[in-house]
Amino acid sequence: MTDILIIGAGLSGLFASILAAKVNADVTLVSAGHGGLSISHGCIDVWSKATPSRSFSRIRKKHPYRIAGKRALDIAIAAFEEITHDASYPFSGSLSRQLFIPTAIGALHCTALAPYSLAHSEITNTTPIAIGSIAGLRDCFPEMLVRNLRANGYAVERSIPLSLPGSEPCRDLYSTDLAYRFDDSSFREQIAQLWKPRLSGIHCLGLPAVLGLRQPHQVFQSFQELLGIKLFEIPTPPPSLPGLRLEKVLFNTAIHFGVNIILGSSATGLIDRSQKLKRVSGIKLHAANSSRHLKARNVILATGGFLHGGLIARRDGSIHESVFNLPLDYSENRPALLAPSIFDEQPYEKHGVRVNSQMQPLDLKGDPVYENLFAAGGIIAGADRQSEGSRQGIDLATAQRAVEAALE
Amino acid sequence: MPSFSTELLVIGAGATGLGIAWDACLRGIKVVVVDQSNIAQGTSGRYHGLLHSGGRYAITDPVSAQECASENTILRRIIPHAIEDTGGLYLALRTDPADYAHEWLLACQKIGIDLEPRSLDQVRRREPALTKAISQAFQVNAASLDSFDLLNSLSHSIRKAGGQVLLHQRVNEFIIENNTVVAAELVSELDQTTMHIGAEIFINAAGPWSDQVAALAGVNIPLTHSKGTMIAMANRLTHTIIHRCRPHSNGDVIVPAGSVMIIGTTDIPVASANDLSIQQSEIDFLMDQGEELIPGFAKTRPLRAWAGIRPIYNSRQYGINATREYSRSHVLIDHGETDGISGLASIFGGKLTTFRLMAQRVVDFVSRELQIDDECCTATVPIEPEKKEFIVLSNRTTRLLSSEKDISDSVICECENVRQSEIESYIQSSPHFELDNLRCTTRLGMGPCQSAFCSVRATEIAFSSHESEDLLADLASFIDRRWRGTSHLAWGQSMRQMALSRRLYFELLDIQQVSGDGS
Repeated sequence: MTDILIIGAGLSGLFASILAAKVNADVTLVSAGHGGLSISHGCIDVWSKATPSRSFSRIRKKHPYRIAGKRALDIAIAAFEEITHDASYPFSGSLSRQLFIPTAIGALHCTALAPYSLAHSEITNTTPIAIGSIAGLRDCFPEMLVRNLRANGYAVERSIPLSLPGSEPCRDLYSTDLAYRFDDSSFREQIAQLWKPRLSGIHCLGLPAVLGLRQPHQVFQSFQELLGIKLFEIPTPPPSLPGLRLEKVLFNTAIHFGVNIILGSSATGLIDRSQKLKRVSGIKLHAANSSRHLKARNVILATGGFLHGGLIARRDGSIHESVFNLPLDYSENRPALLAPSIFDEQPYEKHGVRVNSQMQPLDLKGDPVYENLFAAGGIIAGADRQSEGSRQGIDLATAQRAVEAALE
Repeated sequence: MPSFSTELLVIGAGATGLGIAWDACLRGIKVVVVDQSNIAQGTSGRYHGLLHSGGRYAITDPVSAQECASENTILRRIIPHAIEDTGGLYLALRTDPADYAHEWLLACQKIGIDLEPRSLDQVRRREPALTKAISQAFQVNAASLDSFDLLNSLSHSIRKAGGQVLLHQRVNEFIIENNTVVAAELVSELDQTTMHIGAEIFINAAGPWSDQVAALAGVNIPLTHSKGTMIAMANRLTHTIIHRCRPHSNGDVIVPAGSVMIIGTTDIPVASANDLSIQQSEIDFLMDQGEELIPGFAKTRPLRAWAGIRPIYNSRQYGINATREYSRSHVLIDHGETDGISGLASIFGGKLTTFRLMAQRVVDFVSRELQIDDECCTATVPIEPEKKEFIVLSNRTTRLLSSEKDISDSVICECENVRQSEIESYIQSSPHFELDNLRCTTRLGMGPCQSAFCSVRATEIAFSSHESEDLLADLASFIDRRWRGTSHLAWGQSMRQMALSRRLYFELLDIQQVSGDGS
């Protein structure tokens, strides 16, 4: 029997597990696969339309932010900064202003918090910069990056093609291949020697985010010193290092605080029918060719939306919550999940479970379905996270509220 | 305004138009093909990939059936690289009309279509995924024919033989003197420039748009449009083409093609050539039909749905006997005879399987008009592939694993193993970069991720050499077209894939900011 069982190892699940474990709860985290961080930019988007502090009161009442409350968001952001700071993976930014991070194609992504290497505070759009591209790395796009960054007002001087040492046979490079190499200090020294002559006259260089995975901040600082110029990183398409680094930091912190982690197992909810009150008793865990019961006093559902398997769409047009088959916030017969154009707002973004201020999933009458079940992150209905630019802020704020409620 | 003249101008770069131009080239006729968009953007590029054995039409249209059977043999000889010899099975299920199989068998034998009865044991050994409810089975020599590969090879061969293929050129107007079409005014869809091409004969092979082309010469063609919807499934559950042995109906064929499997089709009258919207009921129907043939079919992942338009000519409406109606399948109209407008003829109907025969008949007509005696030789001259080794996924994979692989030649599209060098060679050979055309040429973006990862990489490769073009708008319109092709498949893994694509484009790359929204 565990105090708090968390299902899902994305940002909200990992963050919730740390919050609960930090106050000495007995926490178990289970996940069917990798969480969403491996495909994320590793930043914390809170609200892209204006600074979050200013616009909070204008958000709709049924929005997860309003339900969780501004206080939960503030506490969550502070807790997140503390966790990442303690793990030597500092973030820049705050809730009171917006950061703009160049994306791999040179658009500017609006976010609230970004890892130090992405949001290098000294880089403004008047800093003369150069863009480095690495031969063989498919997922860096120097031509588009330079052109669009210039169009966005950045003072990009030029792009510099950089190569890797030797002619060792290699497979096609992904950003992770390079990151593993950059973790090694002798490789960094070798690269610095090779690149330095090509960088004369450059004061500030943007590189695809490949500078290390295990101790990225240290790698970044030491490589910057070796080259003797200012660096900043630009997140690539997946595998995206900033996302993977954050995932690693959160996993390590969770393990440090004693979270019991079970990966590679999907879950089916178990209902406690012995008492009058409607409660869940835990889950049935399915691993290869076997299954077992895992009992818990409280369960936090952090399984995400359609992309991560928390919601499942069937061919008959129905949608389902994947662990407890919870009632979902949609009532029509067969609502279209998708709008015709990829550029349209998509109805599927807003589906999910409806919750109260305790983060308890609600039935269609508005009562909690189970008194000891809570939800956090992408499974919660009511936000178009993509157009709001609110995804990670909602993850953190709802995880914060869910843990508070579960520990009450 | 630039202008030049030729002997034959063909309108439409589908299988029919390119087939005509190829035949004309081989007879020494000076030919130009024009198309309003790109190669394979009409019916030919939107077909299920079935090289007919003839069986389908044995009862309803014996002439077509016979043509299909003989063209099948010819195409295997002249364009082997575009054909995968999957073979085909006709299956009668226990629920199908009991006498039909017998009647069908007799009809096939009468025409001389190659077929062999197969025991249920044999069928099961060959295709274990099929339903157990089969009552009778017949093996035929159907095959899977890649129309992109066919059309690219035709276009390559035409250019090599001295013909011209001009793309993104829409016929805007015919210049008619003394009731004879003498020239066409073309408008570039890319930069709106115009040009004149004079010719002795104009062939309208614009498929579903041929009524619109004919109307430019003041000629009315009674064309009806029939939409057929298909779904490509992400897996090949059979390696043989599966037909239903029952009266011709919807959802009665499954064609394994490359790494996917296509189920088709439906048959819905629509108002115009551009009416390609799919109804959810068509998808439901096709998935159910697939499930009937292959239990578990509906649980596997659909990759993409699309529709093509069959241009159907209604001779009864026309009421003039001067048409050359070779069979119910295709029709050549000499507008000099029927409408008093000389120098223009229209061809339509037919099937991809019989494109060569249709071309032969058209060029026979053209030769008579031009008083040329050369015989048709397309039945014996092979059509050279544009690229010999790449297109088939297994060839590409073999090459990747071989020691010859150049380490700097990255795989850009991992689903279809398309390498950087293939994209660079496309860029070199194309004056204008278009992702959708690159897709038709290399299969980039046609695999399970539906271009989520490769489209941006390919755009980057084109960026330095095609600086003046709006590549980001092209990228936006490409990913939108890919999205539209999956938007009726919003369930299971395909729903997750779509959510992933959108997450990548809009939250990691923020494409919407730099692309002008694709509109």
